[in-house]
Amino acid sequence: MTGFLLRRLLLAVPTLLGVTVVVFATVALVPGDPLTALLGPGAPPEARHELSERLGLDEPLPLRYLGWLGGVAGGDLGVSISAQRPVAELLGSALGQTLLLAGAAFLLVLAGGVLLGALGALRPNGPLGRLCDALGTLAVSAPQYSVALLLIAVFAVNLRWLPAGGTHDVFGGGGAGDLLRHLVLPAVAAALVPLGLTAKVFRAALSTVLAGELADSLRARGLSRFAVLRHCVHNASPALLTIGGLQLAYLLEGVVFVETLFAWPGVGRLLYDALTARDLPLVQGGVLVVAVAFVGINLLVDAAHAAIDPRVRS
Amino acid sequence: MTLTTKPTKPAGPAGPVEPGPVEPGPVEPGAVRRAPRDVLLLLSAGAAALLVLLALGAPLVAPYDPAAGSLEDRLLDPGAPGHLLGTDGQGRDVLSRLLWAGRASLVGGLVPVLVAVTAGTLLGIAAGLGGRVTEQVLLRTLDVLYAFPGVLLAIAVATLLRPGLGATVLALSVVLTPAVARVAFTELRRIRTAEYLEAARVSGAGGLDLAVRQVVPVVAPVVLVYAASLVGLSVVYAAGLSFLGLGVAPPTAEWGAMLDELRPSLFTHPWVAVQPALVILLVSVVFNTLGERLRRRIGDSGAHLPEAGR
Amino acid sequence: MSVLDVAGLAVEYPGGVRAVDGVSFSVDAGEALVLLGESGSGKTTAARTVLGLPGRGARVSGSVTLSGTDLRALDARGWSRVRGARIGYVPQDPTGSLDPLRRIGPQLAEVLLRHRRADGRRAAREAVPALLAEAGVAEPERVARAYPHELSGGLRQRAAIAIAVCCGPELLIADEPTTALDALVRGRVLDLFDELRRRRGIALLLVTHDLTAARRIGGRVAVLRTGRISGTGPTEQVLGASPGTAADAEADPADPAADAADAADGMVAAEPGGRR
Repeated sequence: MTGFLLRRLLLAVPTLLGVTVVVFATVALVPGDPLTALLGPGAPPEARHELSERLGLDEPLPLRYLGWLGGVAGGDLGVSISAQRPVAELLGSALGQTLLLAGAAFLLVLAGGVLLGALGALRPNGPLGRLCDALGTLAVSAPQYSVALLLIAVFAVNLRWLPAGGTHDVFGGGGAGDLLRHLVLPAVAAALVPLGLTAKVFRAALSTVLAGELADSLRARGLSRFAVLRHCVHNASPALLTIGGLQLAYLLEGVVFVETLFAWPGVGRLLYDALTARDLPLVQGGVLVVAVAFVGINLLVDAAHAAIDPRVRS
Repeated sequence: MTLTTKPTKPAGPAGPVEPGPVEPGPVEPGAVRRAPRDVLLLLSAGAAALLVLLALGAPLVAPYDPAAGSLEDRLLDPGAPGHLLGTDGQGRDVLSRLLWAGRASLVGGLVPVLVAVTAGTLLGIAAGLGGRVTEQVLLRTLDVLYAFPGVLLAIAVATLLRPGLGATVLALSVVLTPAVARVAFTELRRIRTAEYLEAARVSGAGGLDLAVRQVVPVVAPVVLVYAASLVGLSVVYAAGLSFLGLGVAPPTAEWGAMLDELRPSLFTHPWVAVQPALVILLVSVVFNTLGERLRRRIGDSGAHLPEAGR
Repeated sequence: MSVLDVAGLAVEYPGGVRAVDGVSFSVDAGEALVLLGESGSGKTTAARTVLGLPGRGARVSGSVTLSGTDLRALDARGWSRVRGARIGYVPQDPTGSLDPLRRIGPQLAEVLLRHRRADGRRAAREAVPALLAEAGVAEPERVARAYPHELSGGLRQRAAIAIAVCCGPELLIADEPTTALDALVRGRVLDLFDELRRRRGIALLLVTHDLTAARRIGGRVAVLRTGRISGTGPTEQVLGASPGTAADAEADPADPAADAADAADGMVAAEPGGRR
């Protein structure tokens, strides 16, 4: 088990390095004068000089990359142009909000995906199963931004049931219930696509197990319907885990749209603001943080996979 | 999964179930009868064709000039006389803009898929037929690109370029190519040991000749079907990039850009503002259904294709 | 009196395919009946229909009786009391039939508990090694703690057999139980069936396409072709005296090499029906 995880960890190192190269390139290769790109056109000469010094712009690219990488490893992601504050600081406070939103959405993804997928697999030809399949397809095809706008139009503007954005009401007192009310719509908007994908994959995996030799031989042992289903779900769970992990990662990118439309103060919204302001250090930092989280989640999925399936361990 | 190999199929019940000499018998009734006509496939193919035709024919069908607004007619709700779907904040006809927007949006959705199919197939075949070193270098590089969530990779690439349709197309091509390359590579590996390939190799067929004459015809159908299921995703990504301001420049109509333009009126005129969102949703459903039905059509040989959601 | 009585059994699938077409046979306590046929002959479908698992959409007619119980009349609850308790089933491939994610011991204990052959989890767990040993497992404690993928093909199949007979069934159905095994192990597993049949008086219904396996089991044989029984009688007689029928069955090209190896290994007695 430990050996397996170590191997996986070692394999992640080149991938992570590759990720940093790509992110570094987005700023290093930006066309035109990088100082103008980084500081904006109207920057005073002393600021330009200071930044040029700090970035080591006269040095060859590989050296600059190494210097930048050293900074990143030490938590230095540069300074945001629009906010004039360290990028790491901005991202740090936003990350908590994003994880809260992504976590809430992930719960919806798992619950809904397993429910739709299981019903689809258990009643493949019945009306209920078909309905579940159709809902899954619809969910997969529902872009976060479309869903977000529709939810706001219907539930916030028209029906006035739920707030259209933010994390708390101005005079709401800031309680957990208030936060929860604000969380519902963005979480649903972020969850639909991954929910649909999870349902599809889980349905396929569970159908395969239920129609296979294992299910028949479990029935032949005289086990109850429930016990047979339990074994089958267990055997379909590695597929659920794999897709679930991918979807958690997918949620991290989906929040760019959802957070923007719901004014949720997370990494996604920060990224949108940075893009609008052409704040390159902030864009770079945001992309890097999410990409590293993506690789990290994949590692966690591998570990969990090994915990479920003894064959993966050996 | 992850870093070395993405799962190319749901990690099944018990891993690979050895086939063994199972008595075939008539256990699969569906295999005996002829497959019925797939109504959903026909419907979605028809709808997709209609969408493309409407975008192409926008100059003929659209009732107004998409860029011309009139100040008296600002923010009319859907159903207003003369403006079936209402008008935007500059008094421009929403229906006309949606029709014209189809051009940029569909280009942004379809062209990256075409690029990815070409580049991905070539890369996949190169990785499959090249030596060990070529294979490893290509696969590792693709892994790195794969390690990025799609939208973020597109953002990273698009920030390098001047905002515009070209940036969208290029960014999405970079995002989609690794996925196609992986499908092509996996498919190639499935047939690599096939006898006719061996035979061709032994009889001295050169690498390029082998690739073109033997491999492409086998890999192409699977890649094309997979690509069909990428179109919906690509349209959604393209509109998303425009929404983030990385796509077409303002006066041009594009679904994602319209989403952003109409956003301020969401609270006063919600039914105008949600229309681009609904159109993108509809297009996404149409192309995803088409892709899924095509996959089902090729049946078992498509079962190992990854889901299109990356 | 027969343990298993099958009369006029027919199984039809949607699309009008008759996999089994009017098959009748019976098996007595302590007796072995080999259903012999090539793939597609309906032998597996017949055996699985006896077990109440004919597959999706199948239309079954005819009667199946287990020691006076009309199996065709059972509902889901009734079936789960019969399967595993009164009928043991050994599937073809132990790799697919054992749950790969659970250790052997708990899988066996689960069946004991289900059919109330053990009082509580602890008792069930403690009963496992003896039951494995009875199926010829040399290191029952180790095997009980192992996951299926950690065992050899032969040990896996012995574990599957232990699960099938742990509740003392009247009837044991084995579907090509040796096809997935290599030649050397094959003979020993067949001997285990023979031993269970004789010592515990279990009625054995063995489904196979393998003539060598049929001869080794002995007893009676029923040859199936396209869903009908084309010949039946004592094994020596059918396989020895009627070369035509035997050749039909042997026409299966599945693995003549394995059969040859089996014979060459001396695992099969020279004369037909050789039982030790």
